[in-house]
Amino acid sequence: MDPIEREVTLPATPREVWPALTEPGELSVWFGAAVELDVRPGGRGVFRWPDGTERPAVVEAVEPERRLCFRWLPFQRTAAGGTAALPATRVEITLDAVPEGTRVRVLEREPFSLGSRRARTGNRMLARIGT
Amino acid sequence: MKRAPTDRIFTALADGTRRQVIRALSEQGPSTATGLAAGLPVTRQAVAKHLGALADAGLVTATRRGREVVYQISPRPLTDAVSWMADLGARWDERLAALRDHVVAARRRR
Repeated sequence: MDPIEREVTLPATPREVWPALTEPGELSVWFGAAVELDVRPGGRGVFRWPDGTERPAVVEAVEPERRLCFRWLPFQRTAAGGTAALPATRVEITLDAVPEGTRVRVLEREPFSLGSRRARTGNRMLARIGT
Repeated sequence: MKRAPTDRIFTALADGTRRQVIRALSEQGPSTATGLAAGLPVTRQAVAKHLGALADAGLVTATRRGREVVYQISPRPLTDAVSWMADLGARWDERLAALRDHVVAARRRR
């Protein structure tokens, strides 16, 4: 899949924006899901959508007021209790101080080429961690 | 949330040659591996292998006609995969708009 890139400029400093990206209570306000997230490398997270689907994630990198990186696990739990496979994309959110405030950039992409041996092994490992 | 396409679809589509096979199949309509290989820079055997992988992922269907196997695109999973990817971008648009509202509101409260 093609990487998804989005950005928005916010009228606040990176120091003011950072909690909105890392405090689960604040994340839950804008993410569209109820968020539990242990914001440190290796920390686990769960995103619960109002339709009952649930997706686990793992935090990969944290640079306060600068960068947050997490990886979706390669499946989601459906409201009916089943699981559906999804690509284990990595979400990287970067903050840059700009004259207007803070530029927030989001990059969601596959961390390495899907279909490679490495990707399959990685997905299997992640799936194991996620159970 | 929409029905999620499986990893198999993305894995199948991650390969450049398989995307070429899909494209050739959509241009030529139902074809055999031999018919497709004529227009592609790979052997019939390679095309047959890719068609097998695409069939496993549910992206093409195989029908036996006498001694030949005719392949054709099954549009539904392909549309699902494409719309899932399009949705992903749209979801970030919504999230970032909501983040902006949240940050603006928080700033007003301070």
